[in-house]
Amino acid sequence: MAERLNLEAVSYSYPLPGREEAPALVDVDLDVEPGEVLCVAGPNGSGKSTLAQVCAGLLSPGSGSIRYAGEDVEGRAGLRELRRRVGLLFQSPEDQIFADTVERDIAFGPRNHGLSGAGLKERVREAAAMAGLPLDEILEKSPFLLSEGEKRRVALAGVLALNPEVLLLDEPFIGLDFEGRQHLSSSLERYRDERGASIMIVTHDLSHAWPLIDRFAIISEGRLHCVEDRAGMVSGGTGLAELGMQLPQWGILAGELLERGVPLDDPADPGCLAAAMASYREARHGR
Amino acid sequence: MVGREITIGQYMAGETALHRLDPRLKVVAVVTGTVVVFLYNSGWDLLAFSALLLVILVAARLPLLPMLKSLRSVWVIVLITALLQFFLTPGTVIARLGFLTISDTGLFNGVLFSSRIIVLVILLAALTMTTAPLKLADGLESLMRPLAHLKVPVARVTTVVSITLMFIPNILEQSRKVTRAQMARGADFESLNLLRRVKDIVPVLVPLFVKVFHDSEDLAMAMDARAYAGGEHRTRLYPLRIGAAETCLTVAFMALAVGIIFVL
Amino acid sequence: MERNIGTEDILLSDLSFNYPGQSSPALDGVNLRFERGKFQAVLGRNGSGKSTLARCLNALLVPSAGKVVSCGLDTSLAENSLEIRKNLAMVFQNPDTQMVGTTVEEEVAFGPENLGLPQTDIRRRVDGALAMAGISELAKRQPLRLSQGQKQLVAIAGALAMEPAFLVSDESTSMLDHRSRSRILDLFLGLTKNGVGIIHVTHFLEEAALADTVAVLDGGRLAAEGTPAEVLCEPLRVRAMGMDPLPVTVVAGELARLGHPHPGPVLTVRELLSWLSA
Repeated sequence: MAERLNLEAVSYSYPLPGREEAPALVDVDLDVEPGEVLCVAGPNGSGKSTLAQVCAGLLSPGSGSIRYAGEDVEGRAGLRELRRRVGLLFQSPEDQIFADTVERDIAFGPRNHGLSGAGLKERVREAAAMAGLPLDEILEKSPFLLSEGEKRRVALAGVLALNPEVLLLDEPFIGLDFEGRQHLSSSLERYRDERGASIMIVTHDLSHAWPLIDRFAIISEGRLHCVEDRAGMVSGGTGLAELGMQLPQWGILAGELLERGVPLDDPADPGCLAAAMASYREARHGR
Repeated sequence: MVGREITIGQYMAGETALHRLDPRLKVVAVVTGTVVVFLYNSGWDLLAFSALLLVILVAARLPLLPMLKSLRSVWVIVLITALLQFFLTPGTVIARLGFLTISDTGLFNGVLFSSRIIVLVILLAALTMTTAPLKLADGLESLMRPLAHLKVPVARVTTVVSITLMFIPNILEQSRKVTRAQMARGADFESLNLLRRVKDIVPVLVPLFVKVFHDSEDLAMAMDARAYAGGEHRTRLYPLRIGAAETCLTVAFMALAVGIIFVL
Repeated sequence: MERNIGTEDILLSDLSFNYPGQSSPALDGVNLRFERGKFQAVLGRNGSGKSTLARCLNALLVPSAGKVVSCGLDTSLAENSLEIRKNLAMVFQNPDTQMVGTTVEEEVAFGPENLGLPQTDIRRRVDGALAMAGISELAKRQPLRLSQGQKQLVAIAGALAMEPAFLVSDESTSMLDHRSRSRILDLFLGLTKNGVGIIHVTHFLEEAALADTVAVLDGGRLAAEGTPAEVLCEPLRVRAMGMDPLPVTVVAGELARLGHPHPGPVLTVRELLSWLSA
């Protein structure tokens, strides 16, 4: 079961050649509640990847503090402990795939955590199934010979095999087509439901996995702009346009309808939108 | 280790006099410098040369800190060289460390050889830090052009060299990413267990190599799409032109460097 | 901007392509025509063959069967490659792996330098291309330090410096955020007004909705071709080709089901909203 992950006044700057530094995160306060799906959204260069790496214990904040399960994360030991409980899937599967078989690649993580033998095999199979890989054929294949979509699932399995309490994903939907996105969303939903995990999705595109997301944290130029739930995002006022982002089409539509005072149960459901539009028009034309 | 920049003489954009110096002159000067450093056989020679180098670097207002950082990558080699010379060179014994002895010649050689390495690293860093990879390739190509008469594929060779140089920041960035991705899966790059650290190199090297291969394929395709055809008949937006003043200064540097051998 | 003189189109006749070692063809008997001055989108799911098609246009790949004639030149003949690539410039998906230059202007100059043009010509083309892409102020910057969107604009400027008749975009927007994508699409639309033919390979339907014509590939075959209204308005048909239909088309479909059919094709939010207030 996941615990609460809490960032307070966290800042981080990347060192550059010479003496300069590039600030990536400035004074960020963020909570990831147990069991929620949080989307950290922002334009390219806003610091969201950095935020994910800080949350995963891969980067140590320049200032501010991180707390997990109520305890401060401090020093090398603290970061190492955080890494055991928080998993991060990087954007490109090529950043992590290295082994000669899929099974050995997925096993890398749990093996590093001390698992071996039958327990390890079982963990690998579980993770592969959760990620949507066809168990019978794929475990003995070389991961390098797989299609892009299959590679991504191997990479996901490799992270799921660690049983992270908090699962972070950095731009997992880029380059995936419709079918790929469906697959990934259902894997994530399953992991959250079966393990009680919290999930943080970092993205610049707000249309992905919408029904799954509980809250949105909008980040721009290293600063947290606002945190909203789905309804809050749709009803506008979050200033997305100035940040260079845009709601998906139905979100824009839903926003317009809400502005005209039309009630909506589920702004993401086309049937609901259509019905709302129909009744609005009928009311206006008295038809 | 995580998140720290590694600069091994990486190109740093700037407007110093050394940046503007024609790459061919820089290459010739560095080659000369390398040769004479190996010909120096006294500490005074090296010291004089280092002073000459320092004067030039300071006069050109080159930031010295990144260059010193380049030394960080080679301190192991310097140390091993020094120690080998200390303990293995025969001569009058001046100290004992257990069953190991340090001779006076050993001490002298050790300091000399390791100093040579240090000076060379700084010399090379000065070159690569102030010369953009493509400019360096242009310079090398121009210098090697006479070899084309001997059927040496000069243009192709220099393109390979320049692209390799250009890939260095790419490789460094990618290695950082991969290291972090594997750390997220429990790989431990801070472990005191040497065997563990060696084992954990494979999960970093493999994705790195794969990525570099893929990236170079992408780059080759992009270059093809822009009508790159081997570089023999390429013209330049900024053709290389050597001025009289630059040539004189470079020749002066080389003369001084060589002169040190005979004077000191 | 001067124009390279050549025939005004790119013709694909029965184009087929097999990658070595793969059992099914990446492209299978595709017949298509691309014209100058038009914004033409090529859509399809992952693996549908759209990138393969893009690379057949400028002879990066040579047909296994069938023919591609770009501006009057057969792509299968090696001696035509240089001329073809003068007429047909390409930008790729990954902003980072197509850069060769140390500064933006040297990056943009790479193509003209390869053509062996005199220095004054190169200067003129570089300045012109940077202006057209709207990034003249970035001329002395290092490409690797720019944002992803800016890098793609540099890549496009590099392509424009070839003064091509056609610009092929191989999913050049798929790694960018919304703002950068809009900027590039605006640039593409502006270029068509200057007579350049844009061939934009993408999997984003909102981008294809802006095009003059849309061609959809599925399993290496041409599954649909026509105006965006003809190809993209039917959600079921779009799903059958493996893609996610535009939300407004789904809503319009639901409205029709409820007895409120929209008079014309709907592809944008604005069109749907105008109906609401009508």
